[in-house]
Amino acid sequence: MTAWFEWLANTPMSVSIRESLWGYPIIETVHVLGLCLFLGFTMLLDLRLLGLSMKRTPASEVCGKLEPWMVGGFAIMIVSGGLLFYGDPAKFYGSIFMRIKFAMLILAGVNVLIFKLGTYRRVKDWDLRDKTPSGAKIAAGLSLVLWFGIVAAGRAIAYFLPPG
Amino acid sequence: MMPIVQWLGHSGVAQAIHNSSWLFPFIEIFHLLALALLGGSVIMVDLRFFGLVMTDKELPELSRDVQPWLRLSLAVILTSGFLLFISEAAKMYSNEAFRFKMLSLALALIFTFTIHARFTRSESGASFSGKLVALTSMALWACVGLGGRAIGFV
Repeated sequence: MTAWFEWLANTPMSVSIRESLWGYPIIETVHVLGLCLFLGFTMLLDLRLLGLSMKRTPASEVCGKLEPWMVGGFAIMIVSGGLLFYGDPAKFYGSIFMRIKFAMLILAGVNVLIFKLGTYRRVKDWDLRDKTPSGAKIAAGLSLVLWFGIVAAGRAIAYFLPPG
Repeated sequence: MMPIVQWLGHSGVAQAIHNSSWLFPFIEIFHLLALALLGGSVIMVDLRFFGLVMTDKELPELSRDVQPWLRLSLAVILTSGFLLFISEAAKMYSNEAFRFKMLSLALALIFTFTIHARFTRSESGASFSGKLVALTSMALWACVGLGGRAIGFV
């Protein structure tokens, strides 16, 4: 695996991201702007599922209307994050916080999947109810906790990079 | 201004953050999370001006619903930002990008709570001037963000 990442690090595009003056700042800026769109909408959606925001709007409507923007925002995050990783793959691969971040990203994805296949299938039954079902609350709470962790791990990656 | 900045920089809290290896990034986590919520709230309301998101809700209702979270995120982002600032007060004070960020922030705050607020309360969001207001709002907040990103690079 390490050998493969070293090969990746020597590809011309990886070298140019790493060595260009503007490469990292520009990609990081896109990553942070994508964060607003994706994570901001995710938080507002989670707050709806917790019954804390947009209470008079059906949950299915909030989910449905926000989804295309969240998918777009997530694509921005993945592409810009992927490029940041690609700029120095061997180093990032060695970072424990990178691995923790990936693990939590996968958990966040599984959380969405379980919610969509479970509680959300019966959304018509609780769409406008004052109290959202516990399945929705658990999914929203887990999502907020996981994203807190993902942001924290992301910050830690930059501060505790392994040498080299 | 400089004496106040120096006094803030020498305060116990500022020194504690400055001398700690983990407090600065720890505060940054809250700064970033609040940024996501603030940015998300701003983008959602401003995209609604263009009829691009949450189209089944009228603009005034959406704006009212989002308002408490916008204010909460502002409180968190301003508090955490202030703490980050005082830990590097003298350095930040003379940083061009930081000055640009503070100027943009002042403009964005004033605009958001005056002209922008008036437009979100009326139904005139879809008008040409409404769209102009939404664009201005997003541009001002983007300047705050870009200024913030630039601080570490100038």
